[in-house]
Amino acid sequence: MQPAPIERLVAAFSRLPGVGPRTAQRLTYHVLSRPDEDARALATALIEVKELIGECRICFNLAEGERCVICEDPRRDPTLLCVVETPADVLPVERTHEYRGRYHVLGGALSPVDGVGPRDLRLEELYRRVLEGDPDDPARGSGPLVDDGTTSSGGPTVTEVVVATNPTTSGEATALHIGAELRERSPQVRVSRLASGLPVGADLEHADEVTLGRAFAGRRTI
Amino acid sequence: MLRSMRYGEADRIIHAISPEHGRVGGVARGARRPKSKLGGRLEPLAVVRLELIRGRSDLHTVVGADTVAVHHRILTSHAALTHAQRACHVVDRTAAPDEPAERVHGLLRTLLALLDARPDAAHEGLQLAFRLKLLYALGVPPALGACVRCGRTEHLVAFDAAAGGVVCASCQAGAPGVDADALRFMVQALGAPLSEAPSIDDRPARQVARAFEGVAAHHLGVDLRPRDD
Repeated sequence: MQPAPIERLVAAFSRLPGVGPRTAQRLTYHVLSRPDEDARALATALIEVKELIGECRICFNLAEGERCVICEDPRRDPTLLCVVETPADVLPVERTHEYRGRYHVLGGALSPVDGVGPRDLRLEELYRRVLEGDPDDPARGSGPLVDDGTTSSGGPTVTEVVVATNPTTSGEATALHIGAELRERSPQVRVSRLASGLPVGADLEHADEVTLGRAFAGRRTI
Repeated sequence: MLRSMRYGEADRIIHAISPEHGRVGGVARGARRPKSKLGGRLEPLAVVRLELIRGRSDLHTVVGADTVAVHHRILTSHAALTHAQRACHVVDRTAAPDEPAERVHGLLRTLLALLDARPDAAHEGLQLAFRLKLLYALGVPPALGACVRCGRTEHLVAFDAAAGGVVCASCQAGAPGVDADALRFMVQALGAPLSEAPSIDDRPARQVARAFEGVAAHHLGVDLRPRDD
């Protein structure tokens, strides 16, 4: 038996993913052993993150305010869109420092058997962005695309959509769906898919045959 | 492999159907890490040889997997992929754990091989034919030749899922109706190989689907109605 406030904190920690009762207990005792200001800082951070963080109204990434830092950044290439399943997927792509375009967060992947259909994801918003450009973007194009990659009003519009959904069955289904829709709605836009292959530093001898098979299928000329 | 779900930080929970052990579930530790040897092999639709350590619960621990067949071409067609996923879902829901399921396993492999060979051949008739054959494989075949209540072979107008087959007009009571097209489809689909599954229009397709869902609910205790119903 422990005092009720301790029980409540243990129960709260236990609800976090990957935290079992023992870890929850350890975290609670750790909080108790730290100075008051540490506990206050933790509580404030928790409240702030819930109060201040929402969805970017353009790309649906996490944002403090109406637009996320990436959509606010004028140096990001507005003609390039990377489609990811969740906000957590934006970070690893950013860490590559290879991509300088913008994002579109779908909010999941298509899974008909789990009841997740196209209407449950931000797909219509994606097709609208590709067709019309980003709302409130000073460089936004509008009207039909003309030959030089701009719209009839002169602003840049999306020229390539990189589909970076997970290489799982649901991720592939989502990528196929996006590819088919964009071919129909915006045939001038290039739709690409992240390559699948061997992790850097891994031995070929230990590679699984599915990944290796895909690496072969996606091999490139050097 | 029937299903794969995220679990914990980098693990996966998998469901599979085995000819010897029926439906099996397992935890694949670290399967979502890029360097995991298991991750790529445990995707739905693949045929694999699994190595499991039996756990105390229904979930065993996956310690190894060898690929037997990968249905790469299914992934090139949205329709084929959706049909394959639906078939896996139905098997996942209806097959029993710890019971041999050789016929169910064989039927699903046939469908996946067919969709892989001809992804453009995916159609609703194939899905429904698979489901009807699945009822056979699970030991609850629908009776289609005569009224399951009075034995009449004419004027069969409805499908009584609780009784397990078609009924005539005088025995219909509250059983939902089936058109001649739906009845003809069911007979043809059960009598032909999957590769020759007949096509079907929307209305009879809904009736056949309802009949299948009714049998699954009454005789297997599984609710397979679409979620948006």
